[in-house]
Amino acid sequence: MPDRPDEDAERLLRVIEAAWHQAQQDWRDDMAGRFDRVHWAPVIAESRLYLRALRECLDIMNTAERDTDF
Amino acid sequence: MTGVADIHADIDALRELADALTRFRHGQREVADRGDHEIEATRASLETKASRWRSLLVRRQAALNACQMSAARDAGAGAAGDCHAEQAAVREAQERLVRIRRWQQRVDEEAGAFRGTAGRFRDLLDLDLPRAEHHLRAVIAGLEASRRLRVPGT
Repeated sequence: MPDRPDEDAERLLRVIEAAWHQAQQDWRDDMAGRFDRVHWAPVIAESRLYLRALRECLDIMNTAERDTDF
Repeated sequence: MTGVADIHADIDALRELADALTRFRHGQREVADRGDHEIEATRASLETKASRWRSLLVRRQAALNACQMSAARDAGAGAAGDCHAEQAAVREAQERLVRIRRWQQRVDEEAGAFRGTAGRFRDLLDLDLPRAEHHLRAVIAGLEASRRLRVPGT
């Protein structure tokens, strides 16, 4: 059975955050700080918002299906 | 402006990050498509169930009407008719239809609320992430160029 989309989204987020932490080990100049502020932080914040909304929405969809399976 | 001396970065790790961002963008777009698909599939499924129970209600109501007419005829002839089973069947169909309609309404509300967040996320995938990747690849190109310049003098 395929994973739910929100589970895949969570996995993708974990992978990208690991890549960022790896890159941060050796990238500590001004450009890194700017990239973090301008690009990275908004991407992660918006992705987390989406993930939470997707999870809640899919939970409702699943409950709707179960509650109307007569 | 950042000088060569201020640059501290592992270019391979940055390349890996840029590639990971690209994979993230493609993967999340697929997730977003599947999420939208699941919402539409649930809506379609609820509509199919509603349609089925509407048909059942019509049939059960007709059976109840026939039973009541028959019972009325029987009562005229001095016999007692019993339509309790038909009444229960109609009530069951009505209750199930009400429950399905409530869920249809709830699902529509949830899908509507989700649409705003999903739209912003698609903008992130289509506009912001490519910009971030472009920025990162420009940084990598700059680092490679500066290191090439440093090699002869080191």
